[in-house]
Amino acid sequence: MTNIMEIYQLLPKTNCKECGESTCMAFAVALLSGTRRFTECPPLVKEGKYIDSKQKLEKILKPIEGAEETGLIIHEELCSGCGNCVVACPVDVANDPHGSGRGTGPTNDKVIFKVVDGKVKAANVKECRRFGKDKILCRACIDPCPTEAIEFV
Amino acid sequence: MALDVSKFIKAPEYGITIVTYRDVFQSSVCDEDRNGKECERLSAVIVLDATEMKRMGIQDGVNVRLTSKCGSIVVRAVSSPREEQKGIGFMVNSPWSNALVYDETTDGIPEFKNIKVKIKVTNEEIMSHRELFPL
Amino acid sequence: MTEMVTWTCTGCALLCEDIQVSISDNRIEHVENACMKGKARVFGCKEQAVPTIHGDKADIDDVIKDAARILRDAKNPLLYGWSNSTNEAHIAGIELARTLGGIIDSTSSFCQGITVNEILSGSVPSCTLEEVREKADVIVFWGADPMSSHPRHMSKYSYFPRGELRQRGYEEDRTAISIDVWQSRTAKICKNGFHRIPPGKDAEFMRGLIEALSGRVPKLSFDYDVKRILELAATLKKAEFGVLFAGLGLIYSIKEDITLLSEFTAALNQFSHYSLIPMAGHFNMRGFNHTLHEKTGHIYRVKFVDGKAISGVEYSVIEQMKRNADAVLVVGSDPLASLPGSISKRLKDIPLILIDPCMNLTSRVADVTIPCSTSGIEAGGTAVRMDGKTMDIHALVQGNNMSDEKIIERIIEEVG
Ligand code: SF4
Ligand code: SF4
Ligand code: SF4
Repeated sequence: MTNIMEIYQLLPKTNCKECGESTCMAFAVALLSGTRRFTECPPLVKEGKYIDSKQKLEKILKPIEGAEETGLIIHEELCSGCGNCVVACPVDVANDPHGSGRGTGPTNDKVIFKVVDGKVKAANVKECRRFGKDKILCRACIDPCPTEAIEFV
Repeated sequence: MALDVSKFIKAPEYGITIVTYRDVFQSSVCDEDRNGKECERLSAVIVLDATEMKRMGIQDGVNVRLTSKCGSIVVRAVSSPREEQKGIGFMVNSPWSNALVYDETTDGIPEFKNIKVKIKVTNEEIMSHRELFPL
Repeated sequence: MTEMVTWTCTGCALLCEDIQVSISDNRIEHVENACMKGKARVFGCKEQAVPTIHGDKADIDDVIKDAARILRDAKNPLLYGWSNSTNEAHIAGIELARTLGGIIDSTSSFCQGITVNEILSGSVPSCTLEEVREKADVIVFWGADPMSSHPRHMSKYSYFPRGELRQRGYEEDRTAISIDVWQSRTAKICKNGFHRIPPGKDAEFMRGLIEALSGRVPKLSFDYDVKRILELAATLKKAEFGVLFAGLGLIYSIKEDITLLSEFTAALNQFSHYSLIPMAGHFNMRGFNHTLHEKTGHIYRVKFVDGKAISGVEYSVIEQMKRNADAVLVVGSDPLASLPGSISKRLKDIPLILIDPCMNLTSRVADVTIPCSTSGIEAGGTAVRMDGKTMDIHALVQGNNMSDEKIIERIIEEVG
């Protein structure tokens, strides 16, 4: 999956500070955590020689930009829509015991995961156990995924 | 013009057994467009153990020719991310794997998952659907 | 106006009945709860079939007449396919075979047919997927990788859901075991429950397990940690409700030794309660076996002689396509893609009629192609799930083509 070095290698690596961060590495960290956008790096946007890097960054950062505050990322191209995460997520079981918890499609809107057009979509992510003040490092949706389509950053 | 000596050196051949498997990504793509390029890209592949590939001098991603007693095809060799059993190649069930399957049976069930082949590196192109079944 | 309908998916033999589909103006917009395979099924193929004779577009009535003529003129017509058709189409197909004095066989002939036979003959106990969900605590996937073939298998029935007797979730209440030649996606989920065996050694491993079940230490011809087999046997014994999902990896490996399945389940049932379910692939593979069994007492490979059905390996699709058949009607299948490549050479030479919603590889060699509606999308009926339960399937939208059932009935009229 995407790692920090991979992102860093695609940045100008000049530490010009135009983005406001002290180093390109710091900017890379901010990109990975989803707090900054790559378009906030002026040389990358303006200078033609970075065009390839820019395109690559755009591609690898796309899922991260969609990440919710919990850092949940779904790599749609890897998802087979099996629904394992839908059924295994403890929040889904608690909020929809007779639907998601029993293996069928969700019967209400309170669940986190739902499969639409063959790919899983996340909603209500604030309910995720990794979020809020009593957060725990839950992996209940990651481990059952047969294709490593779920990641938290 | 320099003589291309490599043409005359026969690539070494090794015997392996092919086991076929199913893949949801390949089958979904092929169900949508059976004659399509993407179906071909996901189907014409053999997965091998990485150290086995080294032993046989097959680099990751190169084309190999597979020859069984009733058919011969070209596919791409890819190394498995895991350690696999020796002497086995894995192919997703497809017209490419089926081209190697022998049709003589005693019980009406061909050996779809136990195909003995010879494997060798080649610089031939991967065969398309059309080349598999010339009219 | 967009309308939401509940639908039964015909993407595989799991026949998930909880799919929500939004339809607007006879067009499918979105599908919820179906896996990617189901989604591919709902939205259909890119290249749709058209009526043709020798590759030239023709009128639908003419292609049906031509198909009937080919079948009537043949001495040994073979009617093959059927796993993508409803039970009602099967009934019509069997009737056509009887009328022609021809041969009928399905893809189950070289797939899970022999397993279904073991169940229908009463040799091997089976159960429903609902029972698996409510009760199963030890689940064995042998030569089976549902995560690749039946994506919702584990989430809907076999592992992840909370069941009546399995309220605490899969980690505490269920044990999943995978026996396979490599670490499949399913095996990965089974974690320590994965047992890797060499290809072709399934029968030996199964016999080893039978030994271990009765407390003996098995001897194997291949390198395998005896402790792990003994542990596995102990786990199997402790089950309250065990289930064995038999995949093609197992069935192909023990096909010459298929009674081993009843030996194994009998051995397990001395200690616990075990059932077996075949991992049928296409949505109605099993339906063909059931319908034919009802009508003739045989599950596949049937020839009609003076209206009487006889069955034998010589009437299997492989044998027939290779040698005897002098005309073939293919319904909802792509033999060029799915049968040994060498057979395709002969298919080019004999008259071939293809009834299918889509263009496929076989369309290239077909003398006559007849487009039909997609079962479970544009046509309804009944189908048999992998565990033997009969399910209603419904049409979602109105298509332009007749159903395969209707087409075959028309052919019968022409032939008769
Ligand atoms: S981390 Fe846990 S609570 Fe959060 S979405 Fe995944 S399974 Fe649900
Ligand atoms: S478990 Fe993984 S593959 Fe399955 S639906 Fe969830 S994200 Fe997709
Ligand atoms: S598992 Fe099979 S029946 Fe269920 S949604 Fe997927 S393709 Fe359809």
